Amino acid sequence: MDWGAIFSGAGIIALLNAGIRLAMPTALAAVGETFCERSGVLNLSLEGMLLAGAFTSFMGGYYSGNLWVGVLAGIGGGLAIGILMALLSVTFKTAQVINGIVLVLFATGLTAFTYNSVFGVTTTPPRFDSMRPLEIPWLSSIPGVGPVLFEQSILVYLSVVVIVAVSWLLFRTRYGLTVRAAGEKPTAVDAAGVNVDRVRWVATLVAGAMAGFGGAVLIVGQLGFFRDSITAGRGWVAIALVIFGRWTPLRVFGGALLFGMTDALQLRIQAAGGGIQSGVPFEFFQALPYLVTIGVVIVATARSRDDAMPTALGETFEKESKTKAE
Amino acid sequence: MTKIDTTADATEPETTEFVEESTSLVRQFGLTALAIFMALFCGALLLWAAGANPFVAYADMVKGVFTSPAAISLVMGDVVPLLTIGLGLMIAFRAKIWNIGAEGQFLLGALFGGAFAIYSPIEAPIFIIPMTLLVGTAAGAAWGWIVGFLRAHWGVNEVITSLLLVYVAGFIVVYAIRQPMRDPEYFLPQSAALPDTARLGDIPWLDVHAGLLIALALVPLTAYLVNRTSFGIRSLMLGYNPDGTRAAGVNTSKLTVRIMLISGGLAGLAGIMQVMGAETRITNNISPGFGFTAIIVALLGRLRPIGVFLAAVLIGVLNVGGDALQRSQGLPRAVVVVIQALFVIFLLIAERTGSR
Repeated sequence: MDWGAIFSGAGIIALLNAGIRLAMPTALAAVGETFCERSGVLNLSLEGMLLAGAFTSFMGGYYSGNLWVGVLAGIGGGLAIGILMALLSVTFKTAQVINGIVLVLFATGLTAFTYNSVFGVTTTPPRFDSMRPLEIPWLSSIPGVGPVLFEQSILVYLSVVVIVAVSWLLFRTRYGLTVRAAGEKPTAVDAAGVNVDRVRWVATLVAGAMAGFGGAVLIVGQLGFFRDSITAGRGWVAIALVIFGRWTPLRVFGGALLFGMTDALQLRIQAAGGGIQSGVPFEFFQALPYLVTIGVVIVATARSRDDAMPTALGETFEKESKTKAE
Repeated sequence: MTKIDTTADATEPETTEFVEESTSLVRQFGLTALAIFMALFCGALLLWAAGANPFVAYADMVKGVFTSPAAISLVMGDVVPLLTIGLGLMIAFRAKIWNIGAEGQFLLGALFGGAFAIYSPIEAPIFIIPMTLLVGTAAGAAWGWIVGFLRAHWGVNEVITSLLLVYVAGFIVVYAIRQPMRDPEYFLPQSAALPDTARLGDIPWLDVHAGLLIALALVPLTAYLVNRTSFGIRSLMLGYNPDGTRAAGVNTSKLTVRIMLISGGLAGLAGIMQVMGAETRITNNISPGFGFTAIIVALLGRLRPIGVFLAAVLIGVLNVGGDALQRSQGLPRAVVVVIQALFVIFLLIAERTGSR
């Protein structure tokens, strides 16, 4: 295999550029999940939110012919699963882990059913042209940095803005403090006269909207088509990244970039035909992002144990009675 | 059968418990029936939105399942993996160990068990059948062990590892049948067929393979395990209160690993039985998502062996009905996945509002 071509100057620039692009759907979902988990809701429906967002953004973009309609539709799709998750976990207070897992299956079935009833079985799946990269004047001509950072689609820039904004919201505003308190000591938040359930509702919707946006970035910003289970576990990777990033949005974002780079690298290696020539099967490279994620979670957990985890994560909050003592 | 898992009463029950003992069986049955009705109602709305007449569609599903003996044997064919995996998941979920990677454990059971049967020099049925079953079970157990070990010793979240390992297992299977195990006579990548001596034959008078007997035998076996052994009681304790269980002198690490070995092992057993009884060779589509559907089976069965059995039959009927629907009306069979998920969603809501 021609490692030289991959790791030449131009090769590395292409790799980093692709890595950032590929990281964004996962990054958005992971940061949304961070916000949600900080409020105490363990949202395992993330893969379903991402998938629903991908699907609705495809339908929106395909039928309107306008990519921005697709983006809005994607946010709506993620929000829809978010509403269901909040309804079950916060209003009905049923076990969060089960809610999340079942909603993933629900979203998988519903998107597959709808897509296949609308388009049937076709050999040429319907598609549209995804959003083109936007070269930012002057900045994109900076050698090295320019082509990596400033030749991305506008959705990538927007994603970064959203991620930074959510990080700011969580750590620099009063509302963010309330959200974090709801995940640490909901009884105290309740005693202070704040409605814990409402805070958790909002946080779950934030995760839904961000994951839905992530799904839209995947479809509108990259692929331009849909197929069953197209998100391929990115939502689960995102949940892993929250642990890796120790429930801090910018660290989680960093983890997502690392994941994106791994993905870009394995795609490059596959494209370079490395599998066939080097004797290493290409399936190994395909499995690499998942293996790296597992490794990263092991290291993050083994090193820190649970000290960064919101104390009340996954526990439902009952106003009248006390929550569990621990 | 008397329930002796009253140890749970010592600790305060959490808000939602699938194995809660307080509600009567009649009431539980009523709530489950209500949830099933609501799910079917939503499924009808969905079919109607897709332009079909829901009454006709459901009638087609029922006709497709109950008017032909072939369809009934298809249902039983689905019950085998769903029940076998579902019972394993039941054991894990009772301890609140959320193994959602049964799909991967199933695939590796099928792959390694199948490989053993294909390459075994001894082909006498008395040797090869039990050994193949054993190897498949062991492969599934090994894949589950990774998850259990990581959670037990380093506290790694089992939901994430078990699920991500599904993808890894999938790539291992794709590689194995594309390269080392590939049958060169076929255009599509698939393994050679298992020797005839390693196949699970059909049960006399029934058009379904003998794996059904194994799956059915697992119902009383697992019932004994969860209700009558200290393992079962400790598992339940672990689910209610891990710290308390540890304080009570239970080696929770060992218990966690054991639970995952059993849970993964049963998924692996389901995988190899599918190959020995139904598929006869390893292909890229040995599982239409049995490992994920079995999560629904375990939950809908309220984490009780008999319940899991009834749920497996119900889900099997739905699966085959969904295929009939696809043939008769061209409606995507994925509608049954939606209905299956809605079963559990409505069951959760019904339990919660019913216990207020």
